[in-house]
Amino acid sequence: MATTVEPGPRAAATDNAIEREAERWMNNPYEHFGYHNTRIHSLPRDEVEAVQITAMNLRLEERRSQIKMLEKFAVAQGISRVDRLDEFAPLLMPHDVYKSYPVSLLAKQKFDQLNTWLSRLTRYDPTGVDVSECDSIDSWLTKLRDETPLDVATSSGSSGTCSFFPKSKQDYRFSMMSLRTQLAQKFGQDPRPGDVDDKIHAVIPLYRDGHASTGAFAKYAGEIFAKGDPDYWHTCFNFKISSDLMWLAARLRAAAAKGDTSKVDVPPSLLARRAEWEQAQKDMPAQQLAFVNQMIEKLQGQRVFVMSMSNLLYAVAKRGLDEGMSGVFAPDSVFMGGGGAKGVPLPDDLEEVICKFFNTDRMIASYGMTEMNSMSVLCDHDQYHVLPWVTVFLLDLESGQPLPRHGVQSGRAAFFDMTQDSTWGGIVTGDFVTIDWDTPCGCGRTSVALQKKINRVSEVQGGDDKITCAATPGAQAEAMEFLTGLEG
Amino acid sequence: MTSRPISYAVLRGQVIETDLIEFGGRGGDITFLAPDPHKIGDRIPLASPRLMEDLYELSFEDILDYLAELGERLHLKDNAYLQEALEYSYATAPTTKPIMDGFFHDMPFMFDKERIRGMVDFNIGIDYLESWVEKAINGSKVGIRAYGARTLHIVAGNGPVLGALTVLRGAVTRGDTIIKVPSNDPFTTGAIARTMVDMAPDHPVTKHLAVAYWRGGDEALESRIYQPHNIEKICAWGGFASVKHVTKYIQPGIELISLDPKRSAGIVGGEALETPEMMEETANRIACDFATGNQTACSAARMIYVMCGTDEEGIEKLKTLGQLTYDAMLRLPQVLTTKPKRYNPELKSQVDMLRLSDDFYTVVGGEDDEGAVIVSHTSDRVDFWEYLADRTVNLIPVDTLDEVLDVIDAYTQTVGVFPESLREVVRHKGALFGGQRFVSLGYAFNGPGLVGPQDGIEPMRRLVKWIISEEPLPGRKPFWECADEEIALVA
Repeated sequence: MATTVEPGPRAAATDNAIEREAERWMNNPYEHFGYHNTRIHSLPRDEVEAVQITAMNLRLEERRSQIKMLEKFAVAQGISRVDRLDEFAPLLMPHDVYKSYPVSLLAKQKFDQLNTWLSRLTRYDPTGVDVSECDSIDSWLTKLRDETPLDVATSSGSSGTCSFFPKSKQDYRFSMMSLRTQLAQKFGQDPRPGDVDDKIHAVIPLYRDGHASTGAFAKYAGEIFAKGDPDYWHTCFNFKISSDLMWLAARLRAAAAKGDTSKVDVPPSLLARRAEWEQAQKDMPAQQLAFVNQMIEKLQGQRVFVMSMSNLLYAVAKRGLDEGMSGVFAPDSVFMGGGGAKGVPLPDDLEEVICKFFNTDRMIASYGMTEMNSMSVLCDHDQYHVLPWVTVFLLDLESGQPLPRHGVQSGRAAFFDMTQDSTWGGIVTGDFVTIDWDTPCGCGRTSVALQKKINRVSEVQGGDDKITCAATPGAQAEAMEFLTGLEG
Repeated sequence: MTSRPISYAVLRGQVIETDLIEFGGRGGDITFLAPDPHKIGDRIPLASPRLMEDLYELSFEDILDYLAELGERLHLKDNAYLQEALEYSYATAPTTKPIMDGFFHDMPFMFDKERIRGMVDFNIGIDYLESWVEKAINGSKVGIRAYGARTLHIVAGNGPVLGALTVLRGAVTRGDTIIKVPSNDPFTTGAIARTMVDMAPDHPVTKHLAVAYWRGGDEALESRIYQPHNIEKICAWGGFASVKHVTKYIQPGIELISLDPKRSAGIVGGEALETPEMMEETANRIACDFATGNQTACSAARMIYVMCGTDEEGIEKLKTLGQLTYDAMLRLPQVLTTKPKRYNPELKSQVDMLRLSDDFYTVVGGEDDEGAVIVSHTSDRVDFWEYLADRTVNLIPVDTLDEVLDVIDAYTQTVGVFPESLREVVRHKGALFGGQRFVSLGYAFNGPGLVGPQDGIEPMRRLVKWIISEEPLPGRKPFWECADEEIALVA
């Protein structure tokens, strides 16, 4: 830019060095840090921030020419370069942008137009793919997966809308690598060779594949944990979960909450598969229980990575303990539990029972989302540590402005993940998060940490006795969740 | 004296301003003081249903006289309580100063005798409130009378008129009225009640009103009050937000009258866009229905379906209508609508995103937080249609009326129709789909008032207890004189 002062040769050398460092973080941080979890979480904060700012500028420059929506967004915000982290906040996009397509395109199966819509959000252009033969979400997304670097992630919300997040396969691999690197190693120790290179049994009582996270997770766990060896890759349902059926289920739930299930705007061919979905849902819990029991028998004493719903692990563990069994897998196994369904409270002795039976110190929890590659893992001091290539912003709920990066702050979480390969990587979430910026975490990690209690912004904003006769989203979403629970 | 706002409790002719504790203050709201509800909890409900007797020493005309006199005392310029309430309400209300000033200025008109008389007669029938209305049917003389009930009202706070309306409804039905005021309007109803105390502290209507603030969901308090020996009905506005705390107390002996949260829409026929003059009129009509009161009411339109077709020509026309609608909104007077108090930042970011999706949407305005018109290019409403507020309306093109009817559901209250040729089919089919009120587009706020049905029910008829008295007419044979085959036990 014309107004900047010409930097001296020394400054230029430093700039180049930091740019090179930023590029390594952006392109393959795990390799760059030797897959060393302790090193990754022990970097000084000021150095991390310097790399982050550099990466932001590099990414912005590069991606705005590749992602049309970002270009428009950056122009609208009038930002082409930042010098401080906070200046970057206006460039974080609301997560709803990934469901901003007109829903009739989906109902009418106009996948070519959906491709056009998608093409504005990713650097991998899907518009060259011939989707004229596609007759379902599954067939459309499979075609894109086969013919482009994309592996689009779907999710269905309580409103019945299906969101499409144009992740790439590389994004998924980074995502899974972030779990493996952080979960397989103990903080404070060097990685053992097996932590990085060995095949680890991945045990997932869900689907083997799918475009929704419950399926895609297992697919890439098979690559990253099991290293593609089918003997190490264990799923309960050895088929792909259908995004079409998930969308149908979400639409039916939303329609039921509105009092008319006949008004479900989905293709009739899909509606005909309703019974298939209902049957699958009905049989699921029993099959999952049988699966976990089978795994216990088959993989006794081996190192496993189990990713499951907590209540399922609990049921298995409880019965196992009653039968006098315990400690079934190798002690360096990892158990990651997912939250229970709303309205199904988790038992008080959940962690105790699971840890005792499975011979492990603690249940692992992680915080992450489809729109971000990097998962944050809960430490022994109950904080989710954010990987250094992710910048966290807390935004004021009222103004949307970034809150100070010191003291204890609570606000709407927003992230910039510089490792994002396909999409922009800057996202504003619906989560309400607290960070203590000043107090170092007792676990020893220097990385920024989110406190364990994470709420939805809508929960924090709702209530407090403001009664209105107009159907506000808060009130209705709450009513809807109340009516529909959280299944599927 | 403290300068902090007080939400006064007014219990049966007594103003309570002691034991004040602090409320509110969440999410940037102001805090206010109110009497500790736990200290006054026992005085909120009526001690015994027998104490309703005094209301029957009054005639309907006496009640009207009382209300008319109250109306006279509710002129803002002469009423210090209302002035104070208005001043504080600027901070709590979802709307702006000019709109709130308008609401308060217009309050006396609600108490006009003829207006009330008309409303009550249309709704319940004054005769039924005054006496036994008798009629012969099936060999009996049947008398029907509407009795007042002990009702707890959980009122909405998005318009300050709802407290006044509740006072009025309670008085004319000879009810015992408890009003739990909301945190978005904690001052207005108390000011009206204080005016009543000054005017006639011992009058039965004054004595049968209790106004207080407590935090909705205060279980210790609510489990004491919400008992069948204290109240017979709960009238809750706002659906889930208010009802979620209440449902656990619903039991035989307590009836719930739920005025659910609603949203409203408009339907425009293709011919409304045929000439520039028609287009202009349509734009004015849409603006009146979505912008009035800054779109805080349930009856404010949020989506307008236009049968202009989804071809290129149709979309171009709709874009023009969008611009005209935006201009019409800006022309409306300040007492009806202003730049919103605070444009929801989340909504703003969604609208801004759509501005970038110009393949599928055209956004007119909205860059200055003043409100916006979003024109869809396909027959889809925006993904965040449930969040449309702060003068943001979505114009949606459709090819057929059926597509519009498909989106009318039980959450749909008002449907504005233009031109009138659409009314017959829209109101019939719309009612089947769940719509509850059909108006001429542009007249959602310019009608007869809440004179009868609301949200598909008749709240005033629900607020009274319908009592029946039966006497045999000459010729009805007593069972003890009947032969076996003459006896018929029928319901």
